[in-house]
Amino acid sequence: MSKINPLFFALGIPVVVIVILVAIVVPRMGGGGDLGNLTRFDASAYRKDWATLQGNAYRLDCQIEQQLAFVEGRGRVLAVKPIEKDPSRTSGRIPIFVPVSAGDTFEVGQRFKCRLRVTHDLLVVEALERF
Amino acid sequence: MRHIILSCFGWCALTVIGFAQAPPPGAAVSGGGGGDYKSSSAEGGADRIFNVNSDTVDVENGTMQWKGTTMNLGNSRAVRARFERYLASPPDAGDLKRYIAMLDQIQQLLSPGNITQDNYYRNQQEAFNLLFKAAEFDVDASNCLTIATQVQKVWSMKTEFRQIEVTKNNLETLRKHQESIIVNRADMIEEANDARSSAATKAKPLGKASTGTTELAFKVKDEARTQAEILAKNAEMTAIGLKAKIEFQSQMVAFLMARRYRHSIITSAFYRVLFKGGSQNIVVGAKEVKEFFPISDFVPTLESFDMLSREAMKDVSKGMLTVDDLVKQGELYSAFERLQETFFLGEFEPVVMAYPQDKKREMLELWKDLRELQRLGDEHDLASVEGYVNKVRGRARDFPGAAILSKVNNAINASNMSLLSAKSAALTGDMTKAESALARATKIWPQNPGVKQFADQVVGRQDTLAQKVPEFDRMLTEAKWREIYNKKLEFALALAQDKERSEKLRKVVNRVGELDANIQKASVLASQNNPYLAWDVIVEIYKTESDDLVLAKTRSDIAPLVANYAQLIGRAEKLEKDGSEAAALTAWLSAQDLNPVSPACEAAVKRLAKSVAEGAARKLSQPTPTPPSASAGDEIAVPPAKK
Repeated sequence: MSKINPLFFALGIPVVVIVILVAIVVPRMGGGGDLGNLTRFDASAYRKDWATLQGNAYRLDCQIEQQLAFVEGRGRVLAVKPIEKDPSRTSGRIPIFVPVSAGDTFEVGQRFKCRLRVTHDLLVVEALERF
Repeated sequence: MRHIILSCFGWCALTVIGFAQAPPPGAAVSGGGGGDYKSSSAEGGADRIFNVNSDTVDVENGTMQWKGTTMNLGNSRAVRARFERYLASPPDAGDLKRYIAMLDQIQQLLSPGNITQDNYYRNQQEAFNLLFKAAEFDVDASNCLTIATQVQKVWSMKTEFRQIEVTKNNLETLRKHQESIIVNRADMIEEANDARSSAATKAKPLGKASTGTTELAFKVKDEARTQAEILAKNAEMTAIGLKAKIEFQSQMVAFLMARRYRHSIITSAFYRVLFKGGSQNIVVGAKEVKEFFPISDFVPTLESFDMLSREAMKDVSKGMLTVDDLVKQGELYSAFERLQETFFLGEFEPVVMAYPQDKKREMLELWKDLRELQRLGDEHDLASVEGYVNKVRGRARDFPGAAILSKVNNAINASNMSLLSAKSAALTGDMTKAESALARATKIWPQNPGVKQFADQVVGRQDTLAQKVPEFDRMLTEAKWREIYNKKLEFALALAQDKERSEKLRKVVNRVGELDANIQKASVLASQNNPYLAWDVIVEIYKTESDDLVLAKTRSDIAPLVANYAQLIGRAEKLEKDGSEAAALTAWLSAQDLNPVSPACEAAVKRLAKSVAEGAARKLSQPTPTPPSASAGDEIAVPPAKK
């Protein structure tokens, strides 16, 4: 009968658990793939003067509040509420345009990480990811 | 007098309101329970044939109906004057009790129970003598002397009658003597004729036929003359008797009609004693007396006169008791009514003449107030009637003023309604109808202050018309809706005939009215802590009525309460105007966050969202413009240099 050293179990199991946890948490903390490299969208700056943000791409974490319009074959306009890093800060709703190419199904209350492009005054979603 | 309904109220109070709903003259209007006082004889047998319900005094016509018979009291002015004089005059001097006792004694002396064969002349003489004593009293007004004179004439007639009787007897004796002579002479002639006839038969020719016939003829003639004289004396006696009877009965009726009841009774008593049974039938006044007794085959007698007189005296006596009782109860108006009717029935009755002056004075004051009230009524001075009714009420608490005031108010309302009708007709240009309605209003209430105002308006309307039309046109051109609205009534009156301008005025009034309603709505919302909704209302109406000062003021009042909201909306509108629909949508969403229930925000969001969704492809295909540099954006624009 082979005897495994009990110390192996005592140290091995926690290590395995830690590895699994790190494997799950680290990717999330890293900002979600390529979105993690983008600057967070500043809604107040957009409201103040959208022209200064034109052409830029931003990351927006948001929660869907309402679908304002949907045009078949073109896309939809959603009213979303940005999720701030600092929960004490709240921001008002902003409209974003999700082209039909972005696909996906949207429900009120869902949270997304979006890659936004400020095209003229329009906030166009180039990529998104639920979280 | 029982159940006499005084028409004082008829000519006084009801005349006040007669122009509105005038009742028929003499209409029974019972005041203060006036009709409830019945005499003790009401249940008497006499009342069964009397139409007591017809008793009434009509001062306007100067007549009085008593027991169904109309008595003429003289013309109305004289009647009023007589009653007023009675109220103002002091009571007649003298011992009335003694006077009445004296008259009673005269009646007693002549009553059938006291007259016998023995005292026939003595009682007449005593009663005759008492007439002179009674005539000394003021209240008698020497009417007893009239009776005495009448009695004296009958006595003289009787003396004359006796002389004629003697003469007639003498003539009769003479006639009989003449008759015997005639017979004697005729016999003698017949004998002579017979003797001559027998002699002629003895072959002697006839000579002279007869002698003495001429004398006989003269004697016959004398006898016939005497016979005629006797007949003449008989006729003379009959004429004298009839004349005395008629004169006496005439005096009796005159006293009754003059309401000198006691004198009528005494005259009747003397008549009964002086004239024989065959002369007791009524010759004079039978028709008048029969009117009191509505029975077809009724035969008036002396007792009919007595009965009427005694009934009237009893009514007068009861009437005065009622007056006293009402005065004690403080019901002066009813007392006044009763006194008036009692006065007209028995003004010469001692009990009426002796009514205390202080009480009469009180009645006189009330009478004057009632006369004034009547005058106001005659002149339709409705505004003053209420004051006078209250004055009379203060004097006589039982005065039925409520009915008068009610009808006066009705008349005032009727006049005002007619005036309103006149105004409406004038506004529509129907001058005929306006004149007719105005005439009606003036007829009902000549002093209606509204009539004067209306007249002034009509007079001033022509001038106003000349001024108002250009003023309206100018304001309309300058879009001064609020000023037009503020003068809408003046313009409405002035432009009533101008249909085109009236229509324009109506539109302006509606427009400003709607604006005011919205302003009011916004003010209410603001006061209910709903400033954002109030602002929505303001913003909506401001689009069309930006020049209105009231709206501007309300807007400036609410603006501080919704500064950020207003700024967002303003910004959104500006962005949309610039073509930045997505940015405008962002601003609208922010505004909606502040005012979630705002219909304006919801509408704008829907509209812009659709527009953004539809225009997104276009924007995506356009090249992204280079954002302006920060420094350039901060630069202040320099005005172009003058060349």
